[in-house]
Formats: sequence, structure tokens, C-alpha cells
Amino acid sequence: MSPRFQMRQAWTIATIEMRRAFFSKRAFWVYLLALFPSVIFIGHGIDSKIRLDRYKSRGVVAPAALDSIRAGMTDQEVIAKLGAASEDDSHTSRKRERTGDDEDGKRKWEEKVTHHRRLAYFDGSRRANFWFEEGILRDSQVGELLNFEEDRSVFAAVFQYFYLRLAIFFGCLGIFMNLFRGEMLDKTLHFWFLAPARREVLLLGKYLAGLVASSVIFTAGALLCFAAMLWPHSPSEVAAYWQGSGMGHTFRYALAAMLGCVGYGSVFLAAGLLLRNPIIPAVVLLTWEGINGFLPDVLQKLSVLYYLQSLCPVPAPTDPGMPALLKLILSPAAPASPWVAVLGLLAVTALVLWAAAQAVKRLEINYSTE
Amino acid sequence: MNGHEIIFEEVSKFYGEVLGVNRVSLRVPPGITSLVGPNGSGKTTLMNLMCGLIHPDRGSISVRGLSPRDPERMMRITGYATQFDAAPRWATGFDFVTTALLLFGYSRKEAERKAWKALELVSLTDAAMRKVAGYSKGMRQRVRLAQAIAHDPQVLVLDEPLNGLDPLVRAETIALFREWGAQGRHVILSSHVLQEVDVISDQVILIANGMIVAEGEIRGVRDEISEHPSQYIIRCRDASRIASLLFDEDHVTEVRLNDDRLGLLVLTKNREEFSKALSRIALAGHDIEGVIPADENVDALYEYLIGGGR
Amino acid sequence: MAVYKRGYQRYQGPVTGHAMRLLAMPRYAWERLMQQRLMIVMLALSCIWPLLCAVFIYISNHTELWSGLGGGVSKMLEINGQFFLIFMNTQATFSVMLAAMAGPGLIAPDLANNALPLYFSRPLTRFDYVLARLTTLVGMLSLVTWVPGLALFFMQVGMAQSGWFGKNWDLGLGILAGFLMWILIVSLVALASSAYVKWKLIAGALILGFFFILAGVAAMINGVFRVDWGSLINPSKAMYSVWCWLMGVETPRGMDVSSCVGVLVGLVFLLGMVLERKLRPVEVIS
Repeated sequence: MSPRFQMRQAWTIATIEMRRAFFSKRAFWVYLLALFPSVIFIGHGIDSKIRLDRYKSRGVVAPAALDSIRAGMTDQEVIAKLGAASEDDSHTSRKRERTGDDEDGKRKWEEKVTHHRRLAYFDGSRRANFWFEEGILRDSQVGELLNFEEDRSVFAAVFQYFYLRLAIFFGCLGIFMNLFRGEMLDKTLHFWFLAPARREVLLLGKYLAGLVASSVIFTAGALLCFAAMLWPHSPSEVAAYWQGSGMGHTFRYALAAMLGCVGYGSVFLAAGLLLRNPIIPAVVLLTWEGINGFLPDVLQKLSVLYYLQSLCPVPAPTDPGMPALLKLILSPAAPASPWVAVLGLLAVTALVLWAAAQAVKRLEINYSTE
Repeated sequence: MNGHEIIFEEVSKFYGEVLGVNRVSLRVPPGITSLVGPNGSGKTTLMNLMCGLIHPDRGSISVRGLSPRDPERMMRITGYATQFDAAPRWATGFDFVTTALLLFGYSRKEAERKAWKALELVSLTDAAMRKVAGYSKGMRQRVRLAQAIAHDPQVLVLDEPLNGLDPLVRAETIALFREWGAQGRHVILSSHVLQEVDVISDQVILIANGMIVAEGEIRGVRDEISEHPSQYIIRCRDASRIASLLFDEDHVTEVRLNDDRLGLLVLTKNREEFSKALSRIALAGHDIEGVIPADENVDALYEYLIGGGR
Repeated sequence: MAVYKRGYQRYQGPVTGHAMRLLAMPRYAWERLMQQRLMIVMLALSCIWPLLCAVFIYISNHTELWSGLGGGVSKMLEINGQFFLIFMNTQATFSVMLAAMAGPGLIAPDLANNALPLYFSRPLTRFDYVLARLTTLVGMLSLVTWVPGLALFFMQVGMAQSGWFGKNWDLGLGILAGFLMWILIVSLVALASSAYVKWKLIAGALILGFFFILAGVAAMINGVFRVDWGSLINPSKAMYSVWCWLMGVETPRGMDVSSCVGVLVGLVFLLGMVLERKLRPVEVIS
């Protein structure tokens, strides 16, 4: 048979499988994974717009006056400088504190009563919260209600930590494992093996189906999320970004999502063929990719995540809640150049698919052992 | 002739430590061939090996000159209706057959035409647009059969194809097998309904414990088992007298008189001598209405060769 | 009228009690699990951290080994709530991995092979069935959670000065209660996943995904909305806050213990609903 006919056969297989990948009940969870971040960003956009209108209606203070507030000031001094707060609430806390043990070894307690007050102000773009204890300013939080720079950084974190490490990872696990191992469990794989097609063509067709489905779902999900992140910001700000690096960033996010599907897809397709319980390699891969940042440079380059992160245009901020010791040993390797990242991933994928092709040629139908 | 036969050469297949089939050598000519054996004897293993769903640990298989490891060419001339009862959840009967045909390179229109024709042959057009998952066992059997025959294969392999079919469809299906066998195609089937196999088979392969115990035309296989007495039913008016005459023959081992005294069952070790004896009796003036071989069917062979294995 | 010879007699000997009948299922399940090489490897891996902790306790209680190293070291080597909290966190991760390996095989094959009617045709109710499966997992996960936890606690009690137990007895109780709550949740997640997808393979992925993805979603909510309450939908974090409270350590910001307990109780209720809905001995094909 001519290669052209084989490609046509592979595409026929892919179109049949795509219907299953896109429209089966099982696909619901993949859509949920891909689209949930967009829902959160849209929620954030709506919330920000509502709050902006609400704070504006309660009065706006001068930015310079807001910046002049310092720790240690009293609540009356703050009110004198900024006027009545848009939000003013207070409460009293009672806390039992252990003061030591008495001679009998019994614990000694003392009740401590503290009066707390919170004052909130808005300067047109920034929202300020001041917390007072016994009338003295102890803590403050001043932040822009909508900070474009910050939101882009948050999106970078969502993309790298949620999309690449979790959504695409688990989505590909579901989609690509379903292609062979799933049919083994459904006892329907033999229908494919009885078709007049080489096993390699079958593998290619199924891989294409998984790839198209996962790429479309996750790339569209990531881009929709990106659009949802941009939406609440001022049109002039967005236009400036778009004329600058915006288009390039969008392309690189889309490329990273797509290559994530290419890489993880091939790994899970092969795992589904080579192993009866692919959850074990999934756990190993998840752990390996999870500890990636803590490994030496050479080992970091042996992960899918390294190449995908190299393609991301904005570095993701580290988790502020991470223990100091972990932060100390976290040493991300220098990112690979985009070309190296793309070619490296494609080379790894080709190698994994070759191994999968060898496995599918040997594969036998023996449902009783599943 | 090799290009027209299915050949197994010293084929062995093990599932771990469990024997599937052991050193099977076979040459299956075109026509209807039945694989008969008890459960777990290796019938399905042989069929799966033939169609490339499993691979032999030893030996080689050739289907009309093609290797089962080359599905691209072999499955073009082969159709296999397996015993696996599952079907894709998403498919209607029509989709199920059409989809398989698309992989042969047919246009969608041609695939749909062929699918419809195949569904007509198995009388499943009424339910064609319903989901296979909701079919009854018999309907699922028929849709698998439709898929196997839709591309007009030269080799048709059918694992228990008559299971669950109603009598009308069963008769039509058997007629179809006969027609295909007569056209010089291979129709290989397995069945537990031994009478049906007996009626439709040109040849039979008896298998037990993963080994072939007999093969060939039913009559030929029967002849090879010379030590095993043949059974004949004789319809006659003077049954008691003929029975006493037959008892005098050395080759006759047993004679049973029918209750109506109009017939008897004779067991003989030598068919030729029995035939001569019958001629002598008839020439002596005894009225013999008919002689019917009573055990020249697979069931009797099966009982004899496999015995307690059933 | 045909009269058939009665060829059988009803068993009239003693029968085991309800609890023993229930234990038959976990007994066979444990045996089967222990035959899996990977399970043994995983259990062995889960013992490494408790062993290291035991060494740590030994060192911390032998002042002569580090007396020359100064006061900072003595503070670092103190065995307190923080120490046991780190131990619990590590073992909790292993317990999720173990549940992902052992859990899917408990219910999914029964549903996939339509075996539930076989169970329910015995003197077993649906509740008994779930309880038996739950016992299997809880028993298995106990081996890597509260059992080594209490062993370490009593090791410390034995090695520390006499007043230590009096001041810290609540830590032992915290370890037991905290781990029991955790393994109950992990086991229920494993059983619900196994019942929900019917596929061993995907159930395993779902168990892992449940914990990892919810953690991701929680972090995402916190990041996008600049809040802390998002962590409430992360069962691991909610549990961690409860543990902090039990071990007398400061809870993470924005994590109110009563809210965390409420979330965890709600989760248990939801998982119970999934099991109730999915574990039925009939299936209707539409």
C-alpha cells in the first residue's frame, strides 16, 4: 500500500477516534479542566468591575494622602488625614494565653482582650486596608484593584503550575490512555486490529486523534483564560500590550500548550501500550516533573516541563508559602532557547512514539488479563 | 495450492504457563471447515492466531499465502466475527459496519452501501440505526457477522456464529455460508451446536486440550477410526430375524432392536463386510427398507475422540 | 405430580457473626494486595521517613552527641508539634499514593464485571460492602500513618525526660485523630473514584488528580482573587489546618479551623453520596 493511502487510513482512524475524544461523556472532565481557569478569571473580572464601581461610589481619596500613612499612626490620625473610611469595622478578640506552669505542674492561663479595627480607602485605582490593634496601625495592605502587570504574572503562574503541570498532564493521561488501554478495558480493541491497516498506522491515527483533541481543548482553554485575564483591564492598556509583546506572548502560550499535549500525549500513549498499570509511570512522571526545579541542571533538562517552561514568555512567580529551606535549594536551570525547546520536545516525542510502535506491533488481544 | 490454503506449521501458543495450542499443523482447503472441541480446547486461540490477534510462540501461519503479521494485506481478504461481546458504546449498528469499511479505503457512499447490504444479509436493517450497546445478544452476534462479511472476504472466520440467532436467521445464515463455501472461499467456524456443524461442514477439525485430534472430511475422519464401531439404523419389517442373521457375522459387535420391531441399530467394526452381509440378507428375500449411517456426524466422533472432555 | 428425591440438606452448623463475615472481604483483599510487588515496594518506601524520624528522635534525646554544637541546634532538634506535623505531611503524601494503587482495584472491577449482585445476594448490605472496602483501605493506610506515628510518639515518650509525656500527651492524641480523619477521607476518595469511573486505570488517575488538581484550583483562586479562603477547597490544606490545631501549631493564614472541619465533613458527605448513587446492583443501558 502506498504511503499516501496509509496516511489517508491514519486520518480516517483519527477522525473516528476524534469523535470519541471530543464528544464522549468522559471528555466532560477534560473540558472542565481546560475551561475552569477561564471561569475563575472571568469571575475575577466581574468581581473587579463591580468592586471598582462600588468603591468609587463610596468616595475616593488622594493617592498622595494614601501613601502618607505609616505604621504606628493612630486610627484617629488616619481618619484626620483621609477622611471617613469607605469601610469601617471593628471587633474584640479574647485569647487565652499560657503564661507558664505553677509549682504543682499545672498550666497557668491568662485572658488577653484586644480591640481590632479595620479602615478601608480607595484612591481610584488602589484599595487600601489598614488594621489597628488598640487604635494603633499594625498592618496595612495597599494594592491595585486591577493591576495588569500583576495579572499577567498570575496568568503565567496559572499557566505553568495549573495548565502545564496539572490540567494538560491529567487531561493527556485520560485522553491518550483511553486510546489503547481504554479499548482493552472496553474489550473493543480487536475491531481495530481486524482492520486492513498496519499497526503503526493505527498508532499514528489514534495519536493524531488524541493530539488534535487535547491540543484544541487545552490550547483553546489557555487562550480563553488569557483573554479572560485581559478583559477587565482598560482598553488602552490592552491595546498597548497587544502592539508590543502581546501577540508573541499569545503565540508562545499556545505553542507551549500544544507541545505539552505532544510530549505528555506520546508518553501516556506509550505507557498505555507498554504497561498494564500505567498509573505507576504517571505517579513517577508527576513526581519527577514536580521536583524538577530542585534537581541539578542536567536532570532538569530530562523533563517535559523544562522545555515547556522555556517557551513560556513570562516567568512564573514562586509560591510565597514555600518553606524557606525549599526556596534555598530551588535552582531552576537556565531556560533553553525556543528552537532547542521545540526540537528537543519533538525529538523526545519521536523516540517515545517509536517505542510505542514497537509495542503495538507485539500487542496481543487478551482481555482476560486486564 | 499454498496460495489457496490456510496453513499452520508446528504452531504453539502459551498464555504464560497455560497451554493455548500445542504443535498444531494443519492445511485447511477452501470450503466450510468446522472447529469442534470442548470449552478451553483452543478453538478461539486457533482463530485468533489465524487473524493476527495473537502471535504464535512457535511455528508459522499462512492464510492464502499471507501472514497474519501483515494485517494490511491479510485483513483485506479476511473477515473475523469474534466471540467478544463488547461493541463501541458510541456506535449504531450501521455506523459500526460503515466505520470498519472506511478503513478499507472505500468512499463513504460506497461504505454505506456495502454496510447496508451486509446488514440486509443478516436481517438487521430494522435496528441498524440503534446503538449496538442496546442490542440483544443475538443482534450483537448478527452485527458482528455483518461487519465480518461487509467487505466480501475470501476467508471468513466465525467464532460460534450461530449462537443466539433465531431459527429463521440461522437458516439464512447457514445458506449464506454454504453459498460462500461453494464459491471456493474459506468459511471457518466453531460451534457447540454440533448438529449444525455436521450439516453444513465440508470438513471438520477436532481439537482437545490444545491439540488436533482429527481433521478432514467427516466421512474420511470416520473411516480413519477403524477400531471404533460404526453405527447403522436398518428399517425393515422382519427386524428380529435380520438381527439374528447379523449376530452371526464376526464384525457385528452389537444389535439393538427397536421398540416398534420395525428397525434395529447395528454396531459393526467393518463397514465393507457389513455392506456385504446386508446384500446377502437382502438377496435371501428379507425386506430391507433403508439403511442409515447413525453416527456419521460430528457428535459421534466428538463423543468418541474427546469423550470425557466434554 | 412429580416427586423428586431431595438431594441436599440445608447447612445447619454454626455460622459466623456479621462482623466476621464483613472481615472476610478485607482479609482476601489484603492478601491480594500484599501479593503485588509494587505495593510492597511502595509500603517499603513509606517506611523510610518514619525510620529517619526515629533516628532524629534518638539523636535529639542523646545530648552527648551534639552538646558542643550550641543552643541553636538544640532548638532545631526539639521534638514538638512541628516535628510531628512534618512527619504527618510526608506520610499523608505516601498514603495518597498507596490509595491510588490499592483503591481502584476494590470497587471498579466489581462494577465493570457486574459482580455486585453476587455480593448482594449474600447476607451483605450495600453499607456492609462499602464498610468492608473501607476497612481494607483504612487498614492498609494505617500501616503508613498512625501506626508509625504513634510508634514514634511512644519512642519519644520512652527516651525523653519524665515530664515530656505530661506536657505533650495531646500530641499522641492529635497524631491518632488527625491521621484517622485523613485516611478516612483518602479512603473515601479512593472508593468513590473507583465506583465513579468503573475503570481501575482512570480511577487511579482520578484519586491522584483529586488531590493535586484541587490543590491547583485552590492556589489559582487564591492567586487570581488575591484571597486566602481558596485553600478551603484543597482537602489537603484543610486537613493540614486541622492538624496544626491538633498539634498546637499556628494555622495557615486565612484557614479557620471550624471552616476547615466543615469543608471536610461536607466532603465526606459528598463522597458518601457518590458511593450511594453508584453502588447499585443494576445498570440500565440507554
